[in-house]
Order: sequence, then structure tokens, then C-alpha cells
Amino acid sequence: MGVALPPRATAAVTDEDFNALKNQVQQLNSTVQGLQQEHQQDQQTIQQLRDQLGQTQTLATNAVQKAEAAQAQATPGPSARHNFTMAGDAEVQFSKAAGQHGGFALADFAPIFLYRANDNILFEAGFDTSLDSGGNTTFSMSFGQLDYVWNDYVTVVAGDMLLPLGTYNIRSAGWLTKIPDAPLVDDQILPGSGVGAQLRGGIPIGDTGQMLTYSVYGVNGPGAGDSTTGDAFQSTNSPSVGSPNLDLGGNLTSPNEHPDPSGGGRVGWFYPWKPHYDVELGISGQSGEWGYVGNHLWSAAVLDAAVHISPYFEAKGEYANTWYGTDASGTIHPHGWWVQASYKLAGLNLELPVVNDLELVGRYDRLNDGLGTKTDRYTAGLVYYFTDTLWFESDYEYLSSHGPNAMPPNEVIAQISYGF
Amino acid sequence: MKLIQRKQRTVGWRATTLLGAAVIGLSLALAQAQPPAKSGGSKKPEPKKVRHDLTGEELYQINCNRCHSERYPTEFTAAQWQTIMLEMRVRANLPAEQSRKILEYLQQDSGN
Repeated sequence: MGVALPPRATAAVTDEDFNALKNQVQQLNSTVQGLQQEHQQDQQTIQQLRDQLGQTQTLATNAVQKAEAAQAQATPGPSARHNFTMAGDAEVQFSKAAGQHGGFALADFAPIFLYRANDNILFEAGFDTSLDSGGNTTFSMSFGQLDYVWNDYVTVVAGDMLLPLGTYNIRSAGWLTKIPDAPLVDDQILPGSGVGAQLRGGIPIGDTGQMLTYSVYGVNGPGAGDSTTGDAFQSTNSPSVGSPNLDLGGNLTSPNEHPDPSGGGRVGWFYPWKPHYDVELGISGQSGEWGYVGNHLWSAAVLDAAVHISPYFEAKGEYANTWYGTDASGTIHPHGWWVQASYKLAGLNLELPVVNDLELVGRYDRLNDGLGTKTDRYTAGLVYYFTDTLWFESDYEYLSSHGPNAMPPNEVIAQISYGF
Repeated sequence: MKLIQRKQRTVGWRATTLLGAAVIGLSLALAQAQPPAKSGGSKKPEPKKVRHDLTGEELYQINCNRCHSERYPTEFTAAQWQTIMLEMRVRANLPAEQSRKILEYLQQDSGN
């Protein structure tokens, strides 16, 4: 049996080559030892850096925590950005009623003082300043109220407040109405303001600008014009008061003339389908005692509507129904309505300088004061816009008025209005 | 009696005139609206409206211009606009978010 072995390898290395190789190995060995020492030093350095980094991170974390804690402890109080601003309007008027001399008058200078205490608190007061026929200056506060925005949906209002019976009283600045005279129902049978408190706000519906609005309030309620006669019937001829003794602008102080305050409110729906195209509907009312005895109620129900079709056309109106009890005459029932339409001629695209700045406006009023006087008033007028806030307004009013408190048959009014 | 009848006719004539003027005004306004485009007798489905959050400028046009003429942002300072918008928010019952957007729009280019 035989085993085949590979041939034995043989190599011939000279002493010179062996020594050279040995030197190389020794040099490599010393190099490796040097690298090992550097590696150890690097490891130590890295460890030191890691330690320092950990300390730094700890310090940073502590600093952030302290900053957050300090911020959390800070009191989120009022922004203290007080601001005082004045807005309002002014009118100079020429009027000529049938059977009377025409004349100029400083019809009104009506500043509104706005004082903002912070982001949520505002005090606003509107004043009416004018000259009477004797050259005396009359200065009266048309409203003065404190507004506190409680949250996104509720604002608390208190003071001598504009009352949301319809919308005219709240949007009736002279440079907004396009016709100098107020609608008869708002001028004569509805109160413009009342002393009390109110909750109001708006609730958005969807993301198109649609909203529901609401107002709920309590006020002293109408007063009696003559304290000596109580709420007994007594004939007067005052066209600014809708009835004998009933004083819609009185009873503004404490104590109340009658035992209990009045309550009221408005609910509105506003639906815009695009800018300058919208419709608004509202229903409002108020009811409560009037007079000194408190055995009779004064109540009002108002429907209001407005529509805008394009930036040029607007139509709006109100229907008001009021009633109140008296000792001598039973229930008196003043009521009426008005509708107003206006059109800016710029919508015709005539590109004529004067025509482009004109707006035509018309209104129809009907009022039954419940005391035997019925009035129909037809108003046609125009507005010329010098600027967006400086207007010239002129209109002709024809009245068909019959009864003990009949009004003059016609009147011409020209007015310059400025809003600021 | 004749006098009463004449007054009734006069009132009726004026009511007719007023109604006519209102109809003319409404017609002028409606004339501004663009008629629907005709497409050879076949109705094309209307493109879906792109929904987006209304901007402050759009909300300004929707809410403010319905009661008064345009007021320019440069008319008041940023602080005054904040005061005025607080008043307008209360008076017009503006929802909070809409009021904030309108204020931002007015303050962007407010006066000094």
C-alpha cells in the first residue's frame, strides 16, 4: 500500500533579505504600538467630550424647563393697549317744508367716542350736537354703553344702549342712511335706545360668511311724559311722541317709573352668496310696563329685511307693530312700515364722471299712529359722492297725512354729510 | 267727496309711480348679472365651486360694505383699527373669527 506525498516545498532566503524583512517587522511593530497609544488617548478625549456634552445637555434641559416654568407662572393679563379713537358724522342741512320758510342749519355734529381698555373692553358714547333756532347749542348723548367681549359668542353690553328693534336705529348714522329723514316708524313709534343690559353675538354657519345673530336685553322701558297724570289718557299734538304721555325716549334713570323692567331681543339671519350679494332677515320685539302705575304694557314686534344685488343695488325695509294699554282709551295700536331702494349709477358702466358718482334712492313710508292720524310719505332723492365719506344728499318728500297730528304735505331737504 | 276721490287718485298714482321706479331699479340691478353661457343646446355640468376659507378682504366686502362705503386701511392706525373693529364686532354682531380676519386685513396696510 503506498501513499503519494506532495513534493516538499523549498525556498532559498538569503540572510540579507531576512534581516531586511526583520527590520520592517520591527518598524511596523513600533508603528502599531504608537497607534495604539494614540487610540487610547483619543478614547480618553472622546470620553471627556461625552462627559462635557452630557453636562451641557443637562444644563440646557434645566434652562428650558426653568423658562417654561417661568412662562407658565407669568399672569396672562390684559394687553394694556389702551386706545382712544373718535368716529362719527356731521351734517349741514337746508330744508324747506310746505308753509314754512326754508333755511340752513347745522343739522348735527355727532361724534362717537371710543375708548378701548384692552382687547375685550370698549366704552363707546355717541353725542348729538346742533344749533337750535335761537342760536343755542344743544348737546345730548344719543347712547353710551360699555361693551365686554366675554367670549367668541357672547358680548355683554350695558348702559344707554342702541336697541335692536329692527336695524335702522343701530345703522342710522347720518352718512349711512342716504335719506336725511328717518323712517316714520323708527322716528315716532319705536325707541332708539334704552338704559339696561344686553347679551349679543354672532354664530357663523359654514365657511361662506353666513351667520345667525342674536340680541337679548332688559331695559327700564318706556316712560310717561307727564308725572302728574300717570298713564291716564291726555291728548297732545307732539308728533315725536306716538301717543299721549307715552315717552319712548324717557325713563332713563333710577328708580324705574314702573315696578318692572321691559325685555326684548332680536334674532337675525344673514346669508351672503358672494361679496356684495346677500340677504338679511330679522325679527325683534320688546314688551314691558310703561307709565307710573305699571298696570299697562307697551309692546312692539318688528320684522326687518335687506338685500344687496351687486355693489350697486340695495333694498331694505321694516314692518313695526306696537300696542299699549291706557286707562281711558283702551289699547292704542300704532303701526307702520317702510321700504327703501337705491341704485348706484356706476353700475351702468357709462364711465361718465358725474353720473358715476350718483346714487338714486327712493322710500315709501306708511304710519298709523293709533290716534287717528294716518300718513303716507313718498321720498325720492339722490346722493352724490364727493368721496366715499363726503356726500351730498337731496330729496323731495311728498306726504299724504290726515288726522289730528297731520304732518306738512311736502318738504325738500338738501344735506352735506361727512363720515369720519 | 270729489276732493277725497281726487286725493285717493293722487295717492294711487304716486303708489304706482313708486312701484314702477322700484321695478326699474330692480331691473337695472338684475341686468348686471351675467346670463348663463349657452353651449350649443347641450347642458354642461357646472364646475364645482372651489371651497376656500374666506379672506379678510372678502369678509370685509361681505360684512362692512353692506352698511357703509369702503374705508381704506390707511385711514387709521393699527391700534385705531383694533378699536374700531371691536366696536363694529359688537354693533354688527360679527362672529369672532370673521372679525379677527377683517382686523388683520385692515392692519396689514394701516396708516402710521
